[in-house]
Amino acid sequence: MQGIFEFLFKYRRLVFEQGDFAFAAPSSVRTWLVIAGLIAAGAVATYTIARGKSSVADRGVMAGLRVALIAVLVFCLMQPSLTLSTVVPQQNFVGILMDDSRSMQLTDDDGTVRNSFFADAFTPEQSPLIQELSERFVLRFFRFSDVSRRIDGLEEMTFNGTHTNLANALDAARSELSGVPLSGLVMITDGADTGERPLTEAIVPLQAAGIPVFTVGLGDDSLEPDIELGRVELPRSALQGSTLMVDVVVTQNGFSPGSTVPLIIEDDTRILAEESVELGPDGEPVVTRIGIELQEPGARRVTFRIPGQPDERVERNNARNAWIDVTDEAEKILYFEGEPRWEVKFMRRAVAEDDNLQLVLLQRTAESKFLRLEVSDSTELEFGFPTTREELYRYRALVLGSVEASFFTHDQLQMIADFVSERGGGLLFLGGLSAFAEGGWAGTPVEEVMPVGLGTPTGEEGFFSEVDVTPTPAGFAHPAVQLDAEPEDLQARWEALPPLTIVNPLDKSDVRPGATVLLEGLRNDGGIQVVLAYQRYGRGTSIALTAQDTWLWQMHSDVSLEDQSHESFWKQMLRWLSDGVPDAVVATAAEEEVEPGEAIALTASIRDSTFLEVNDATVIATITSPSGVVQELPLEWTVQEDGEYSAPFRPAELGDYEIQISAERLGGQLGSDVTYLHAAPSDREFFGAARRTQLLQRIADDTGGQFYTRDDVLDLPEDITISGAGVTLVDELDLWDMPVLFLLMLLFMGAEWGYRRIRGLV
Amino acid sequence: MFDDPRGPYLQPEELRATAGRFPFYWTRAAYSDGGGGGRFRRGGGSWSVDFPKSDQQFLIVIKRLMRLNAYDWENPVALSDPQLRKYPLIYMLEVGRMYMTDAEVEGLRGYMEAGGFVIVDDFWGARAWDNFLWNMRRVFPDKTIVDIGLDHPVYSAYYQIEEVIQVPAFGNTVQLTECGGCYPQVKGMYDDDGRLMMMINFNTDLGDAWEWAEQPSYPLEFSTYAYQMGANMITYAMTH
Repeated sequence: MQGIFEFLFKYRRLVFEQGDFAFAAPSSVRTWLVIAGLIAAGAVATYTIARGKSSVADRGVMAGLRVALIAVLVFCLMQPSLTLSTVVPQQNFVGILMDDSRSMQLTDDDGTVRNSFFADAFTPEQSPLIQELSERFVLRFFRFSDVSRRIDGLEEMTFNGTHTNLANALDAARSELSGVPLSGLVMITDGADTGERPLTEAIVPLQAAGIPVFTVGLGDDSLEPDIELGRVELPRSALQGSTLMVDVVVTQNGFSPGSTVPLIIEDDTRILAEESVELGPDGEPVVTRIGIELQEPGARRVTFRIPGQPDERVERNNARNAWIDVTDEAEKILYFEGEPRWEVKFMRRAVAEDDNLQLVLLQRTAESKFLRLEVSDSTELEFGFPTTREELYRYRALVLGSVEASFFTHDQLQMIADFVSERGGGLLFLGGLSAFAEGGWAGTPVEEVMPVGLGTPTGEEGFFSEVDVTPTPAGFAHPAVQLDAEPEDLQARWEALPPLTIVNPLDKSDVRPGATVLLEGLRNDGGIQVVLAYQRYGRGTSIALTAQDTWLWQMHSDVSLEDQSHESFWKQMLRWLSDGVPDAVVATAAEEEVEPGEAIALTASIRDSTFLEVNDATVIATITSPSGVVQELPLEWTVQEDGEYSAPFRPAELGDYEIQISAERLGGQLGSDVTYLHAAPSDREFFGAARRTQLLQRIADDTGGQFYTRDDVLDLPEDITISGAGVTLVDELDLWDMPVLFLLMLLFMGAEWGYRRIRGLV
Repeated sequence: MFDDPRGPYLQPEELRATAGRFPFYWTRAAYSDGGGGGRFRRGGGSWSVDFPKSDQQFLIVIKRLMRLNAYDWENPVALSDPQLRKYPLIYMLEVGRMYMTDAEVEGLRGYMEAGGFVIVDDFWGARAWDNFLWNMRRVFPDKTIVDIGLDHPVYSAYYQIEEVIQVPAFGNTVQLTECGGCYPQVKGMYDDDGRLMMMINFNTDLGDAWEWAEQPSYPLEFSTYAYQMGANMITYAMTH
């Protein structure tokens, strides 16, 4: 199409898009229009006067064709032209940015290696592209991957970069060429951006400076056949014995949808789980949920992998790794119950054998009289519910039973809310006669924390209903309500459980916008009761369990004595409640895997015992290398964020690093935390390695450039020439001699002659 | 006339249908006895001794002593009734004349294995003990009944109880005992995980002390102890 267009209109479409149309004839357009009108009127008059054998219609058609012919002629006489700004040869620079990352080593469907383009295009003796570019511009070459650097020749390309950072590459080239007249940047890449920065940050300055980016896309639009594993996320740590539900995203192209492949989850010593994954349609990610039991304590790197399939294009995108620290600590949870209730007994029994949960009970047995169980020492909770943040924040989670809001002081209520939002603790509200609206919690600072909004309490009569509890679709996928059942048995397990009772009616309409409902049930008044819902609130999580007697799942005569649903439910609930609750010191490595020599940021969030951010702490990272070498690295306060400290770290050895970050202030320890890092050659570049045409097109469109492939890249030199950027001069291109005009005149003349012949008028 | 401060009395059908409306029901276990009076009926059989005044009065007082949100009236349930499982604590007395049916044996076994807690009271002497033991061996052939010493947490769950007292029946406050030379004992049966599931008050009659606490002729010392034991047993059973 491009060739036909250029044949008819003399120039390429882009020339018309870039240029301004004008008539070059000296007189005004109006004069020419008058002349044209007179000529046309004369032509029409000749047909009107000469009657002959022709009808009125014949004369009309012929007059029309003649007028059209004259119009084309007049158009040519007006000397139509395009006014273009074209660059002055050798007065302007063009930056050529070449992707130096590992994905350039991939072989495309036609058998060519991606990086062969550079040798083909930029060898002066062989390539018309480099010849034309060199004739018109002063060229500057850059290579980019995780870093961007000016180079003098192709021999400096390594194709071994571990990142493709497009934004940084554009910034670096713009900055390097900021002092010279720049006609544009040419970015040659597959577009598989693995940088963290949004591209817009790099595009906006280019727009402001009027620098177009011409992108050349390498590689196939789709790699086929290929299977790719999406990013896998594990919590930083989890309690020993927990079952993690992990979502693994698998995308395939070119394999038959519906076929299955094995997915293996393993650590350094053993296979943790193996599942069969059903592949989805081409290009559509399929989420598979896999349960992993964490039995052995300690930090480990868990690998998720699908073995390479026959004829697969890229096998290095079939595996993902993630660190998890399996802890063997006893998470301390405070359960405050406002009155003797059976939930206490059965909840305690359910988790009694779980050494990783310390359920501290504080139960009000009479006014100002409390029963304390599982306390660490005789002073713990000596005076009842905590009155200071230090005292409350020692716990990782809080369970509030049937206790009225008026029991607490306003400060205590605010402290409970802050326990979730600032300390990041888990808070579980249980149903009961003195819970939710019936307990007067509406309007308190704690109500905001709840995943359900509270209305007016039920009246003196109270509310009572049984509900058969069933998981919602979100519940079926949530680890807290799996009851240790196989996924295919879960529905039947829930259906077999006896109904619970409700005294706090809470409908779906009461659920807060950001909350998720996991369990629900039909009440006897026809309403759908929210039985279990949760939401993130600040740094923590709040959960509402609105039933008042989950102990029926243990005691009811319909439940067999062997049934472990109640025990599983509470173990999973309390582990969920306390898992992931942050400590005062939290250490983080920006990435869990890096290449040796690649810098990453170590960061630490530092808070005191009341979880207020600390900006004047002494923070030291003690790093143990794979060979056992220990080094200390001080972290500095970042200033941008309260309580955040950071330092760059560059691992030198291959293997696992242990990084312990400790903080102290005024000679007192604030705490410490450990994170881990694996140094190894990275496969990052092989994920999402197909050509990102849309992204490259967007860069070009947003900056006024063009997008090319190998097939049309030879248009690049001329397109840069007329881009208007750099030192330019105004060029006027004649349009009167466009072949299309000559063809139009022939068409009109021929049509008139043909008409006459057909109508017998010659 | 005075207004009864207690909540409404529910008819048996309504009581069954709304089980769970209150956090606590003082539940009396109805069982068959050797006299053929095991049929579930008021005043029929040894299970119903002191019934219902003892139960009602116990609830009135215990709710003043403790923050216990309990149904205000008696709640008798047969051991063979599946509904029993909705009340994790049952009170059973005069077991010296107990003669459980097989269904009741099954019901009691399932109840205790599921986590139910049983308070046994008001039976005296070796003959009554032997009968109770025979019945319990039908429930758990291999389980033993052991003494609960004063160092057990049940004695400090609510009140601090330093001594086990023999509580006499009403009208027997001089002689105290109903059997020659027998002394009060508190015994228990534990499940396989070492959790107490039955507390046996032998050679003593807590129920009478609850029932007759308002009588000037009944010594306050005994009713005080009986209510203290009641509060402790309930608190312990509801938390352990």
